[in-house]
Formats: sequence, C-alpha cells, structure tokens
Amino acid sequence: MKPVDFDYVAPPVLEEAVAVLASAGEDGRVLAGGQSLIPLLNLRLVRPRLLVDLRRLTGLAGVRAAGDGVAIGAMTRQADAETAPLVRERAPLLAAALAHVGHPAIRFRGTVGGSLAHADPLAEVPAAALALDATLTLTGPDGVRRVAAEDFFQGFLATAAAPGEILTEIEIPACAGRGWAFVEFSRRHGDFALAGAAVVLALQDGRLGPASRIVVLGSADRCHRARAAEARLHGEPPTASVLDAAAAVADAGLEPASDVHGSAEYRRHLVRTMTARALGLAAARLAAP
Amino acid sequence: MSVTGGAAVAGRHAIAITVNDVPRRATVAARTSLLDCLREEWALTGTHAGCEHGVCGACTVLLDGRPARACLTLAVQADGARVTTIEGLAEGDRLHPVQEGFWECHGLQCGFCTPGMVLTAVHLLETNPAPTEIEIREALAGNLCMCTGYQNIVAAVAWAAARLRERSATP
Amino acid sequence: MTLHAATDGWVGRPLRRVEDPRFLGGRASYLDDLRLPDLLHVAMLRSPHAHARLAAVDVREAAAMDGVAAVLTGEDVAGAMEPLRPLIPIPNPPRTYPLAVGKVRYVGEPVVALAARDRATAEDALERVRVEYEPLPAVVDPERALDPGAPRLFEEMESNALWRDVLTYGDVEGAFARAAHVVRERFTIHRYVSTPLETFGVMAQVEPGTGLVTIWSNDQRPGLTSGVVAAALGIPQSRLRLIAPDIGGGFGNKRKAPYLIVAAMLARATGRPVKYVEDRRESLAALCHAANGVIDIALALDADGRFLAVHVRDVVDEGCNLQNPTLHSLLKLSNIIGCYGIEAVRFEAAAVLTTKCPSGANRGIGKPAMCFALERIVDVAARRLGRDPAALRAANLIPASALPYRTPVGAIYDSGDYPETLRRALALAGYEGLRRTQATARAEGRLIGIGIAAAIEPSTSNLSSYMLATRRPGTSGVGEAALVRVELDGSVRVATGNVASGQGYPTAIAQIVADELGVAPSAVSVSPWFDSHENPWMFSSGSFSNKFSGTDTGAILGAARAVRDKLVTVAAHLLEAAPGDVVVRDGVLGVRGAPGRQVTVAEVATVAYRDLLALPPGMAGGLEARHYYVSPLADVPDADRRVAVQLTFSNSVHVAAVEVDRATGAVRIAKYAIVHDCGREINPRIVEAMVHGSTAHGIGATLLEEFVYDAEGQLLTTTFMDYLKPTALDVPPFEVVSLESPSPRTPLGAKGVGEGGAIPSLAAIANAVEDALAPLGVRVTALPLSPARLWEAMTRAGEGRGA
Repeated sequence: MKPVDFDYVAPPVLEEAVAVLASAGEDGRVLAGGQSLIPLLNLRLVRPRLLVDLRRLTGLAGVRAAGDGVAIGAMTRQADAETAPLVRERAPLLAAALAHVGHPAIRFRGTVGGSLAHADPLAEVPAAALALDATLTLTGPDGVRRVAAEDFFQGFLATAAAPGEILTEIEIPACAGRGWAFVEFSRRHGDFALAGAAVVLALQDGRLGPASRIVVLGSADRCHRARAAEARLHGEPPTASVLDAAAAVADAGLEPASDVHGSAEYRRHLVRTMTARALGLAAARLAAP
Repeated sequence: MSVTGGAAVAGRHAIAITVNDVPRRATVAARTSLLDCLREEWALTGTHAGCEHGVCGACTVLLDGRPARACLTLAVQADGARVTTIEGLAEGDRLHPVQEGFWECHGLQCGFCTPGMVLTAVHLLETNPAPTEIEIREALAGNLCMCTGYQNIVAAVAWAAARLRERSATP
Repeated sequence: MTLHAATDGWVGRPLRRVEDPRFLGGRASYLDDLRLPDLLHVAMLRSPHAHARLAAVDVREAAAMDGVAAVLTGEDVAGAMEPLRPLIPIPNPPRTYPLAVGKVRYVGEPVVALAARDRATAEDALERVRVEYEPLPAVVDPERALDPGAPRLFEEMESNALWRDVLTYGDVEGAFARAAHVVRERFTIHRYVSTPLETFGVMAQVEPGTGLVTIWSNDQRPGLTSGVVAAALGIPQSRLRLIAPDIGGGFGNKRKAPYLIVAAMLARATGRPVKYVEDRRESLAALCHAANGVIDIALALDADGRFLAVHVRDVVDEGCNLQNPTLHSLLKLSNIIGCYGIEAVRFEAAAVLTTKCPSGANRGIGKPAMCFALERIVDVAARRLGRDPAALRAANLIPASALPYRTPVGAIYDSGDYPETLRRALALAGYEGLRRTQATARAEGRLIGIGIAAAIEPSTSNLSSYMLATRRPGTSGVGEAALVRVELDGSVRVATGNVASGQGYPTAIAQIVADELGVAPSAVSVSPWFDSHENPWMFSSGSFSNKFSGTDTGAILGAARAVRDKLVTVAAHLLEAAPGDVVVRDGVLGVRGAPGRQVTVAEVATVAYRDLLALPPGMAGGLEARHYYVSPLADVPDADRRVAVQLTFSNSVHVAAVEVDRATGAVRIAKYAIVHDCGREINPRIVEAMVHGSTAHGIGATLLEEFVYDAEGQLLTTTFMDYLKPTALDVPPFEVVSLESPSPRTPLGAKGVGEGGAIPSLAAIANAVEDALAPLGVRVTALPLSPARLWEAMTRAGEGRGA
C-alpha cells in the first residue's frame, strides 16, 4: 500500500509555493497536514506528480483577532485551533467541530486549511465554516482573493480554488451572543459522521434573524445549508415548536445514497435528528449567554 | 523528475531527523513514509505497520513531542523534526512508567499495538496527569488493539499516571 | 522423590509475563522486522472481479521494469507444482494453485506475484500487468449457490456443495412428536474476522548449495503448513526449514500456505531472499473470513419447558475455500447442545462454495454462530412460554452431579458447575436490580434490555472428527511436542511445537516447568520462536482450538518429568542415596533426613554433559527429554458417527445490559458481567485478560464488524474505514469472576480459555437488544446490530410490519 512515485517541494515562501503549484497544473497537489491526502496516496486513489508542502510557510500557522472575530492561518494544526483561547471564545462552534475530527494524533498533524481545502462532504470543519459564515483567503498567481465559505465548497472534494491557488487563511466573523451547536452521529468515536449538524442561532428583537444558519453534513456532495429549515426559523421566536418544525425539514432537498452504513432513509432521518439535537443545544446557549 | 527543491536529487531527498535524541540522516524518495524510513532506513522496527491508512494507530510516534501516525507522515515532512519511537522511551533497562504499567497490569498480549499505545499514553499523561477512565479511553480510541479488550490497557495507563504523580510529588 | 506441594507451586500464580520487556521496548521480532541482505519485496496483483475467466495475462512490461527481479503467473506456478490438495475428498477434485489459473473466483484472489527491490516498486510494476477478464456471474448467496442451475465455481464439480450431510443423534423425531412446544427461528450469520493487528507475511530463502528452503512466516499451524509447502515445492520436508517468529496476533487467521509457496518460488527464481507482507486491504479481502451462512434452528420443549431436542439446518458459506473447508460445520457439533441436557440432536450440514474470500479459522470457528442460534432460540422459547430467560436456562442446565456428561454427539463434558456459574453471573450482574431498572426505564419510554448467554467453550480439536466429512482415515487424534533441556550451567531451556501470538505461553510454560524441576521460573528460558529444525513438532503442532491446556501441558510435563527423573537418578547416584529419598527444591537436590547432603541442579548437569564418568554406569549423557504427547481423550467416529469433536469443555455465562437509542439505533452497553470456568488456571492474570480480549472480539462482531458483498460479489468493506473494529470506547469495562473446576481429564486440570468470550458475547448482546426492543416487537435474527439495522427494524415495527 505505497503511493505512486511523485516529487516534493517545501518552498520557504508563499510566492514560490504558488508559482511551483501553478506550473505543475493538474499534476500538483498541496500538502498541508496530510491526514486526508496521505491515506488517499497510500491507496493510490490520488496520483500526483508533485506535492507542494506548505510546512515551511510558518506565517500560515496561527490564530489572530480579526476585528471582533478571529482569523486562523490555514496551516494551523487542528489541535492548536481547537484549544486556542481566541477560537474557543470567538468561534466555539469551530472548536466543538474540531473535537470531532479523527483522534488526537490526527488533529496534531491535520490542519484547519487542509480540511477546508479537501472539502470532504463528511468533514466537520467545512460544515462549521459554512455555519459560521466564514471567509476564506486564497492566494494565487493572480493575487489574493476572498471567498465566502458559501461559495467555496463546490461539490465532492471540489472547491472554488483555481489551479495554483492556495488557501491561506480562514476568517470567522464575530458571533458573540449567538447560540451554537455542533452535533454528529458516527459509528465510532472519531469516525466520519453518518450525519451531523452545525447550527448558529442569532436573535434579532427576540426573533431568529437571518444570521441563523443550519448546516448539515453527510447526505450531500458537500456540506449543505438546510435552507428550508432555516426559513422556518427566520422571524420566529426560538420555541420548541419552531425548532422542531425546522428540524423536520432539515433533509429537504437532500438525496443521500445508501451504503454499507445505512440506507438513504436512515440518513435523512439522522439529518433531522442531529439537526433537532443541535437546535436544542443552540437554543439553550442562546437563552443562557 | 527535476522539480526544484532544496536537496532533491533525481526525485530523492536528503533528510535529517533527530530520532530518540540521535541525529539521523537518510536519502529517501518523496513517497517514503516516516514509518518506512524508521523501519527500513534506520532499522527501528518497534514502530509497526498495522493498516497504512491512519486508522489503527500501530505506527504512532511522537513527532516534535506529539503523537502522529508515521504512516500518514512522509519522511520528507519530518525533515528537521524530533521523533520519539518506542525504542527511545526506556532509560537503559529502566522502563518508562507507562511501559512499567503495561507490564504490571498485563496491558499487552501480542504486543503489536503496544508501541503506539504506549506513546499515545505517554503524551496523554504529559498533558493530563490525572485522567479519568473515560479520558483514557478517549485518548486511546485512535489506537486499535485486537487482543486485550482494552481493559488492562486502561488500567495500565491509570497505574502509570499514579506512578508519575508519586514521582513528581517526591522531591 | 517429592516436590513441594501444589499450593506452594508456580502454577496458579498471576505472574507478570516474562516475555514482556522486549515487546514493551519495541524489540520484538515480528515477521516484517526480519532482514536479509539483498532482500526483494513481493506484491501481488489481485482480482477485481468476483468471478471471471482469465482471457489473457501479459506480464512482459512489468517484468522489463527497472527494479523488478521476477514475475510469476498462475500458469508459471501450475507448471512447477502439483495442485493443492483439497482437504475434503470430492469426486473430480478441482486443480487449484496459489495463483489463479484459468479463472478468478473471488475479489482479491492473487493472479500475479512479482518481486522487486522494494514494495513501492513492486506495486508500480503491478500497474503494468495487463489482464483481460471475462466476467462470469457471481455466486453470492450460499443457499442459491446450491441451486442446480447456479453458476459453478469449479466446472469439474457437480455442484457448489463441498459437503452435505445429515447427522442424527438420539430420537429426534420422537422428541419433536411429543413436544408440547416447538420454537423455530432462522438466523442469518454474517461474515467477520478477528483481524490480528499484524498482517500475514512470509520471508523465504533458498540456499543454492544445499537446496535447503528456509521460510519465516507468522503461520499458526507450522505442523500442517510444512507438509503442504514441501509437497508443493517438490522437496522432502527435511529440506524445508519453517520458522515462526513473534506473531502479532493470530486468532486462527494466520494460515496461508499458498503465500509461502509463492514466496519460495520467487526466491528460487531470483536466487535472492524475498519477503511478502500483506497490506491491510489484502488481509481484509483475501486472508480469511469467518464463514457467513444461515442457521435454521428448532427447539422442542415439553410442557414444563424442558429442552427435548434440537434440530439445526446449517448452511455455511465457505467462500472459495478448498483448503480447509467444513470447519465451521463440524465444530458446531461441539457446542450444539450448549450447557443443556438436550438428548436428541439433528444437524443438517451444508458447506457451500461461493465467490467470496475463503473462510478460515477464526476465534471459535462456527461455535459463536452455534451459540448465537441456540441462546437466541432459548430466549425465543422463554418469551413464548412466558418464562424468565434466566429461569428457563436454569431449569435446563446440566447439573454438576451429572458431570462428566456424555453428549449425544459423543463428547464428554469434563468439569464445571453450570447452574452455579449462572447463579454467580446473575448475582454479579445484579440481575434482579437490572430488571427493576428496566421496568422503570420502560415506563419512561427508554429501551433498556438484559441479555444472558450460557455457553460451553469446547477446546482441543480432535482431528479424527474430520472423518465425519472426509470418511477418510489418515489424520486422527491431537497432540503436541515439547523439549526440556537442562543446560550445563543448570539453566533450563524449553521448546515446543506451538507458536505464541500473545497467549503468554513462555510464561505459562516457565511456571509449569519450574514446578516440575524445582527451579524458579526465571531459570526457565522458553524459545520464543518455532523452528522446525530446532523445536520438536508433529502434524497437529501449532496454535489452534485452545489446545494448550489439552495437549501442550501434557507434552511439557512429559518432557519435564523425564528430565526430573534423570536429575533425581543422577543425584541419587552422586549422593549415594535411594532415588526415593531425593528431594528437589529451589534448584537443589537434597536427601530426605540428611541435611547438608545435596547437589545443585547445575552440578548434576555438569556430570551429565562433562564429567561423564561420574554418571551411573551405563547411563547415557545429557539432561534433555522430548515428549510427543497424544491426548488420550481423542477417539474416532463410532458406528453411529458419535465422536468427541473437541476434548475439553470450559463454560461461562455472560450477562449484558444495553440501552438502545430510539432516535439513532445506537446500542450502548451499560453493563457486562462474565462468570467463567476454565478449570485450573495456570496463570490467572493471563486467563482473565484472554476473557477480556475474547469478549471484545464478540462485541465487535455483534455491533460493528461485517464484510459486505454486493450482488456482483464486490467486497464493499476493504479498509479499516469501512470494516469497523471496536475501540477503547466501544468495549465496556468487564466484570469478571472465575470459578475453577479442574478437569479430571487434562494433564494439569486446565481447559481452554481463548475462545470463551468470543462464543457467548454475540448471543448475550443480541438477547439484550431484543429484550430492549421487546416493547416494539422487534426480533433480532441477524448481526451486526448496526444503528441503521436497528433503526430500520424499529421503524418497520412501528409501522406495524414487524421486523
């Protein structure tokens, strides 16, 4: 179970990394922590000619305040982000989601940016980023651009990053005072989820405002905003019946596949169930600031 | 292949890793895992290949002090790093308290998962000197053991935690 | 002579394992840790199809690659060896080889093997092999595989059936005719396997001068493997040296002679040593699986709820297994009546070929499935009769006074107290309290259940029992061999034909020998490796069916006692005493009643090896003995086909309490209590840990693990991301109590323990889950109890459709 032969560079500066990656075109892959990529390499499911390792770009690791929100360098190890006081304080939903990523040994190596850029539909970090309305910074041959999480995830393992573009930072806007929760169900602790939900609830004059988001994972080709469910929230008070009504349609528009771990019907049910649990937890946090 | 990159020569890369406080060098293909590098280049065979896709934890080493899957780390990624493997844990014949705990509590049977388990536990106790049973189980949940049913492993880690606390309480 | 009293001995003490420090330090030598100069690495191309004709295999491009030393195809192999011999005599036996010839018959079947400078290069080369497959219909369902029109795996055979038979013991018809109640159920048995963390591997070297073939392999049955491999290579067994190093877990899985043959052929072809180690995908897809199948079971009860007869129709899906089929069928005979006094048994056996991974030995082999079906049907009966499942079991257990008990199949249950085991288990679990908790929880809408399984753990297989299927003599009984040698300095070395894979044999053996020779266990050094040119061995040598307590102890004792006798004889001569007056203790031989007259074991050894003229006149030198122990308990099938399939019988009761999450179908094990009795425990610390590990295997099989094949015979669970093993969070803490009823029939009174947990745990949890879901009317008839399966069952039950 060995990878195909490839070459490897670890450029010391971002510009060089971008240049090398751009010149490699489709044959190049970015290597961040490697915890998603290397299993695929070992199984020969991914067959690059060149890996561009970002490990020497120390400027890409770290957490900083960004206004009242928080910005996280793409190369920040998941475990470091999970325990960073700024993240716990300003983006607790992300910290909670990170705690579900694999096991500690995975999170010590895996990076926040790597998980986002890999865009696995079962992954926790993308779902949290989408629920938190994060903005992702991409650096490419043509310069730097910022993309909303909403627009970043494009499909199964597919993102808006163009060839040669490298995800460098994720910025999460201030969300003080909001209710939040991350809930998932997996066969075993540390496994990818069968279904999960990342929820943010925002009150405006006692009613749930447009910043309230429900993101579900595990039943689509990417993390998925449950817009029908969100619509049941907007303008309503956070009562049990409103939350239940939202959860009941959390699977609207989803067409999950059946697989060895469960039928499509079961997955839809789990999406509703996880959403209901997440909404309940988020509403409780809303009530008790 | 002739892409740029510090020490790359015809697709091979010179690396230097400090393993168990010993500086070591090798020239490896980019695709060589840290696991294969430790085992094949440096004959440190205490680190085991159990699945090579990051699930079983048999290949766990401490990379710059923190547990990592050696099968999910390329050797080139570890260039310049400090690695601790199971061979580096005991001081001569004196076992590390976690190793001692595994012996005292019969926390191993076939021994194949043991190096990864022990190193994972060592890190746990460095960061959490008094873990609860559930914390121990959570910390070890990324390491599969097919022999013990985990019960004596959990007991071994708890035993080691107590021993380490005793030691640190003794001036 | 006298030895110190048994209570004073080393056997029975929970010693720490002597072998642990090197494992703890990462200094063990597993197969993949072995190195030879110029070593080549092997990779195998494996079939992506369940069933296909091999139209063309073109290896030219691969063979020409830089770094590739040799390539072997099925045709190459077939040209160089006689076919592998099926164990079961079949009319027109198919010719099969270590690599596929003509057809492939399961996903993962090896097609081409090649050796290259490293494994990565070997895998690169596999991508250059061109194979044209012409797909054929897969044979996935074992019952449909028996249809006359089903596609056949082997055209030479008349059907896909390997063995079909009906074995009847006692008046089955009469019992069912007079039964007041008959309960029936159909259980689907799933595929799973123990997945030792170290995969299977082999390293082979051919000495050019002598032609001696040396093979290192983590093979658990070297006694059996040696003959198969030597025959395939066309060499006498004396020219094959088979070495088993430290083994990273076995559980029966590690037997794959075809890989040894391929490796040796590549070593021959290249003149260099080669190594092949399965990767995890290969191991999951192609090493072996516990057979799946279907069990239809009917239990006849009288009006008082006494079990009268059991009728089992058993279809075993062997996959593509011609090497060691019928194991999963035959071994069910050894626990078909469980712990109960059932006097009439009918067993309808069918062992069937399908296009799946070959089935093979796996912790308990067939017995977990048999126990699952029997203990489930007992719960079904209890529900039907309105009896408490504990009470119904208690009423049917064989009483202690009836032991030794001859079962209708021909086994003899040797020791134990089954009713007491049940009583203790119920007490340990707090059964009454659990029932009260359950009642309260149910009132709150929670789904809590309690499951009991009472089990027999048969061990030490009697190889004569194969005659039931083969009707062919030539292999019978069971035994093991041991060598005990006191070295010149008085230290003791022991070697046996068995191979250790975590069971603690070096420690247990040291304890046994220490007692016999009157030395400390630390003075006893047990060879950690098997080496066919060093260790004594026989056909049945190796690790299977928990035979250590049944045969290995006899071999070790036999050799140790012969050495002790010689020690005493020589000492008596040196001390001018009568042998009967010589006492051995702590490495010193003294004379009773004459303090100060003594010699040490080392002094006697010096005489035996060096000071030869000091020996008693005419006595041969040396202080060494070998003993080839044959179990006196083994028999051959009688005219009524009664035979002891296995020879010693441990027993246990498991009690599990679970809660099922109505919303997700997840099962949480809230309590797990075990009371077991494996006779005299040589090392209680090792015994208890075996119970933990074995039970964890069953829990994994019950809740998580399953090899899933689709309708085309594709294996969908080929990595540890899909084939789910239990973690430290999935296995609950166990409460374990052991009873010790020494067997009157084994050398030390010990009985098997390694499979004990894996046998009842499936039934205990399944019974608990069905009990939890009883308010919904859900029946548990298939495993694993995945959240999806339980949720769907609850949902269907809620819709009034039953499960």
